[in-house]
Amino acid sequence: MDRAIIELLARRAGLDKALAEFPEDVVAAAEQASGSVAKMKAPTDPRAEPWPPMRVGTRL
Amino acid sequence: MSDLQWMTAVQAARAIAARKLSPVELMNALLERIGRLDPKLNVFIRLDRDAAIDAARAAEAEIASGHQRGPLHGVPVGIKDIIDVAGLPTTCHSKVLIDNVASADAVCVSRLRGAGAIVLGKLSTHEFAIGGPSFDLPWAPARNPWNTDHHPGGSSSGSGSGLAAGLFPMALGSDTGGSVRNPASACGIVGLKPTYGLVSRRGVFPLSFTLDHVGPMTRTVADSALMLDVIAGHDPLDPGSLAAPGGHYATGLEHGVRGLRIGFIRHFHEEDMPADAEVTAALEHVAGTLHTLGAEIRNIRLPTLGEFAAVNRVILQSEAWAIHCQWLRERPGDYGQLARRRLMAGAFLSAGDYVQAGRRRREMIAAVEGALRDVDILLCASAMDPPSRIDNPEEVERTYPRQARTPFNVTGHPALAMMSGLSSGSLPLSVQFVGRYFAEATLFQAAREWERAAGTDNKHPPVL
Repeated sequence: MDRAIIELLARRAGLDKALAEFPEDVVAAAEQASGSVAKMKAPTDPRAEPWPPMRVGTRL
Repeated sequence: MSDLQWMTAVQAARAIAARKLSPVELMNALLERIGRLDPKLNVFIRLDRDAAIDAARAAEAEIASGHQRGPLHGVPVGIKDIIDVAGLPTTCHSKVLIDNVASADAVCVSRLRGAGAIVLGKLSTHEFAIGGPSFDLPWAPARNPWNTDHHPGGSSSGSGSGLAAGLFPMALGSDTGGSVRNPASACGIVGLKPTYGLVSRRGVFPLSFTLDHVGPMTRTVADSALMLDVIAGHDPLDPGSLAAPGGHYATGLEHGVRGLRIGFIRHFHEEDMPADAEVTAALEHVAGTLHTLGAEIRNIRLPTLGEFAAVNRVILQSEAWAIHCQWLRERPGDYGQLARRRLMAGAFLSAGDYVQAGRRRREMIAAVEGALRDVDILLCASAMDPPSRIDNPEEVERTYPRQARTPFNVTGHPALAMMSGLSSGSLPLSVQFVGRYFAEATLFQAAREWERAAGTDNKHPPVL
């Protein structure tokens, strides 16, 4: 991920202080996230629902 | 009595109930051992010595007067420091919560106390059950009693280390990506991640709501079954808790494996993450032994470990970010570097990534459920390597993700890790058994048969 994009996303997430004090940690976090997403396959069925599902009821 | 440090919870509970062992004698023996060994192992964040001795004296008096509180009366237990114990700090091994004192027991602790167990204190963890082993936190990381230069696994590191060192016979851990089973594997003890929803998480600091499990950690399979009997049960105030059938988890312990169909997931350690040769040989030895004892062994294929791990990470990082975002914005310097890096990752994931992971999760659950229609349990690797050196961050970083535990956090199936043997360097190697939802009794049955055949319950670190 491009450094400028990382900085933009970090500021959007409210991580200004982390960016100022721990810039390398912010970059490492962004790289972890993009690495995880890159290794995840999308479901082949467009109707596939996520788990856990929405369940209505009286358990709240 | 001699060798009190290696007494199991079942043995201790029976001896105490029969008034052949004083809970005070047991407590004093363990406290003496803790005083001698803990400076080398860093198992405890907070040892509650006086309260433990008082509770042992009270247990002795109650039992003498004929009052048996429950199946663990007088038996000591250690609690991972993300789990609340009333009146004690729950620091999560972090400066962020250094002054946080719990006002009530977590449900799992309350259940243990109700059965008569005595809380010894709070145990080391990786920071917030994710950042470790770390040397930039207020407390040093726990070390492996088999060799203190090595990592005891994590995040329930104090639980695993203390059990292997004979500091207590039972401990509680938590498991979001393998954190009960990792220290069980590294320390050569028994760690169970129960079915999701079987044990209440109320009073346990969350890491990832839909992946978090609380589980028993012990030195024997029978102790794991006994502990699960006590801590399992529906909690209407835990949104993930289920009213499950079960209990009596020890009933099939000595039934053996004759006729049991075991699916061996070889591709995890042969193709997806090629394991250390000694790990592979030990897994084959476990499968071969159980086959000789009457089990049928079949090859099973599931999605790859890489896919499971990616789904686990996207879900975990998203949910953990939601929990930690305010603190990470305001006081990032109060986290250690490892936790800070891992917890901030969720800031860079989209809502779409999280939903995609959930959709893929459903397919993975279906794949494991499909496999378990044809076999009774699954057998696979837990760790792909012997425990790494703790002072070598590169080696820790390389070996930490080389494991096959995250699949069953993603799917919620029960999974038990235990010793498969010892490496040529005298470090524990491990095996994992996985079962159908709420079929922990079958897991215990297979695990006990391996324990009996291999004598893993009698293997202790030689130097202690």
